[in-house]
Amino acid sequence: MSIGGTEALPASESGSALDFLDLGGEIAARSPLQLFWRRLRQDRVALVSGIIIVALIVIAVAAPLIIKILGLPGPNVQNLNLTDEFGSPLGPTGSHPFGVDQLGHDVMSRVIYGTRVSLEVGIIGTVLSTLIGVVVGLVAGYYRGWVDTVISRMVDVVLSIPLLLLGIGIGAACAVKGCLGGAIQPGLSVIIFLIVFATWPYMARIVRGLVLSLREREFVEASRALGASNTRIMVREILPNLTAPIIVFASLQIPSNILIEAALSFLGVGIRPPTASWGQMIASATPIFNTAWWYMVFPGAALLITVLAFNLLGDGLRDALNPRGAR
Amino acid sequence: MRSIRTVAAIATVAALGLLLAACGSSSSSSSSSSGSSSSSSGSISTSGYQSPETQSLTGGKKGGVLQVLDETDFEHIDPGIAYYSLDYEVVFATQRPLYSNKPNTASEATPDMAAGPPEVSSDNKTVTVHLREGIKFSPPVNREVTSEDVAYAIERGANPNVANPYIHAYFESVEGMPKADGGPIKGITTPDKHTIVFKLTEPKGGLVAASLVLPLTAAVPKEYAEKYDKHKPSDYGNYQVATGPYMFKNDSSGKVLDVGYFPGKSATLVRNPNWNASTDIRPAYLNEIQIKIGGTNSVIGKQVLEGTNIVENEPPAQSNIRLAAEKYKGQLEISPGAGSHYIGVDNAHGPFKNENLRKAFFAALDRTAMDKARGGKLVTDVMTHFIYPTIPGFEQSGGLAGPKFDFNEHPEGDKAVAEKYIKLAGYPSGKYTGGETITIVGAKGNPAEQDAEIVNQTLKNLGFTTKFTLVETATMYAKYCNVPKEEIDVCPSVGWIADFGDPQTVLNITFNGKFINATGNVNWSQANNPQLNKEMTEAESVTGQSARATAWAKIDEHVVEKALTIPFDWDKQGNIEGSQVQGVGDLWDVGEWDYSWTSLK
Repeated sequence: MSIGGTEALPASESGSALDFLDLGGEIAARSPLQLFWRRLRQDRVALVSGIIIVALIVIAVAAPLIIKILGLPGPNVQNLNLTDEFGSPLGPTGSHPFGVDQLGHDVMSRVIYGTRVSLEVGIIGTVLSTLIGVVVGLVAGYYRGWVDTVISRMVDVVLSIPLLLLGIGIGAACAVKGCLGGAIQPGLSVIIFLIVFATWPYMARIVRGLVLSLREREFVEASRALGASNTRIMVREILPNLTAPIIVFASLQIPSNILIEAALSFLGVGIRPPTASWGQMIASATPIFNTAWWYMVFPGAALLITVLAFNLLGDGLRDALNPRGAR
Repeated sequence: MRSIRTVAAIATVAALGLLLAACGSSSSSSSSSSGSSSSSSGSISTSGYQSPETQSLTGGKKGGVLQVLDETDFEHIDPGIAYYSLDYEVVFATQRPLYSNKPNTASEATPDMAAGPPEVSSDNKTVTVHLREGIKFSPPVNREVTSEDVAYAIERGANPNVANPYIHAYFESVEGMPKADGGPIKGITTPDKHTIVFKLTEPKGGLVAASLVLPLTAAVPKEYAEKYDKHKPSDYGNYQVATGPYMFKNDSSGKVLDVGYFPGKSATLVRNPNWNASTDIRPAYLNEIQIKIGGTNSVIGKQVLEGTNIVENEPPAQSNIRLAAEKYKGQLEISPGAGSHYIGVDNAHGPFKNENLRKAFFAALDRTAMDKARGGKLVTDVMTHFIYPTIPGFEQSGGLAGPKFDFNEHPEGDKAVAEKYIKLAGYPSGKYTGGETITIVGAKGNPAEQDAEIVNQTLKNLGFTTKFTLVETATMYAKYCNVPKEEIDVCPSVGWIADFGDPQTVLNITFNGKFINATGNVNWSQANNPQLNKEMTEAESVTGQSARATAWAKIDEHVVEKALTIPFDWDKQGNIEGSQVQGVGDLWDVGEWDYSWTSLK
């Protein structure tokens, strides 16, 4: 029933509809996954990005081990002996390759641990917002009518809320005692909540638009004629056809969420110190950049590389899943 | 005031309606300026750098225009409202209070508008001040200053439209002051054109006499200012006239706003044509001071160090202090006695009700690390007690070494002593196992943020579970640390600057239980020790600078002994100037450049 397979099949690998006429031998059928993988493999930039992301995940998971192997102190170990007589942090050395900060924290150690926060926020936030966005978009697009109207207006309202201002507001209002009887406390969970709250509408809009189109297609009508329930049609017939755009959008949402976390932490309403966060490190480094460049450069580079890797992988996925899309 | 301006502002709000007991003199001719300062000047290392204590006050070259760069604007330029070290730069160049401190002292007042020392009656309930003759207001007023102008200056401080921030803290004992609203005050009389008399309801003549150095006592012409004081808030600052050597550039109507002062942009001080040098101690070398407001501190500092006829009148960025120390040593002034920072520890709620836990915290804290995070030894000294250098009583309290207690002995922290006190608190393992979570609220930004993190880590090392939050500095004070009901266990870096050189202004409002307020509270530890309260109440009435210094030093020692809060930093403020500036900084005002004494090379 699904049209996904045939939709994803290109006329030919070279792009010419007549190429297959030249084939003399047996034609080997390839699954959509095979085709996708074949195309992705040819995109070296995406592959390198993927390798970097895998490496980042390994770094995040094995941070304590990596630090031990490298002989670095823990991310929260203070050592003011590593600052000069003016309290300025010392630069990169053999024992502290990325230098230290104003409290003598090892910057490399904190950059490594900061990977955890970034990936947690990026991946968890994206997964949750994707789940919500897909469900809501699917329902709105499939049922149309008042359901669509209500959901669409809700999406409009949520999209009109400025995320950073909301984060600053929650950070200020709930700073010490928390809000709602302490249920809301600034930190990782609130950042993830904010990201999910602010980004699900984008996914919902995309899905809704696609569903509005798909629900009119013959395969859906055929399924309906066979007596399939609405849920079945949505889950078994329509959803598989949304896989490619969902993956592409989600992969591009991850770096965006990482940047949101960094921005909130930069503004002081994100991760609480002493937990290491790249955004927070960059914020602390700003006033001393002219005397301690390393403190801004290394977390900044980590953020740049991570975001770039996710973006480039996202681009690669988009091209591999939708080869007819313009690059 | 400056570096701790929010604190100071809140402190005075907290003080409204409260009486700070006064000292008094048994002699009818004693003066607030009498006696030698017990400043620690000799013990503070500023070698190799300029210091307000050793700077030359004479021999400057007359003339020239000084450029000033300030990142932030003034809060108030009205002498009746100003209460911030940056404001004082222009207020003390344009106005003459009854008494003022020369730049090289923080506690020895010199007659300014006054002709001689204040006369305090034997019952300590009357203060009489005689004014100099021949002092005139700047244009457009142009007439001689009289005692009635001084009386009006103080009276308008009680006007809600002016709302002077410290009038009730220091002048509340003046008869009629508690109910004053801007009109004549019964206890302030002017028997002749050059005499003003303060009649008090309590024997607090000494404190009132000492507080006459505050800019509230700078003369204001009633017939000119009254119409501006009817505005809410008063508009007099924008139309002010001067008595000092300089005045804000104004137009013929006296308007300063958008003529000599552009809020957020610039200000220009020019010579006051009616100023008579023979009546003043200020040399007033400069012809004009051009103040540019705005920019970024770290950039401004560099501009100043690389410039010539230019100064920065705010504490430079830490990186520029370093730059100055390394490359422009002669252009850096280090001023001791720039206030103090300590850790507010809640004595009334939570684990730190237990004195032994406070002592354990005190012993464990690496105060040298805290100070290093603030810029190191050049701009800090390890704080061992509360009366800070330049304030009388500092030496009597033990000077830099401070009172001798085992938990105070090792500034870099002593784990063994900390464990000893944890055990004495009832935790035999030497770690806190009480289970209560400590709430820590610190301020964002360097260096307060670093201090807070060190405090957090110290408490964790002692076994405490902490809830650690950083908020904006103003929020930290106004919403949390100054509000007892919030029950914040630890405020890692609260700060204090005395309003003038008397130890009572350092200790009383901050540790006396009678000053605990529901909001705006600056008794951060909520200290309410009956014995200490009694000692402070008695010390309020001690007379004579030396005796007062001794009495308050004893109290200082007791505050340390009970570890009511944890002291860590005596500030020494750095100030920078261009290569062609012969800067003179005010010791009494955290070393800020004094335009009336500064000259160009």
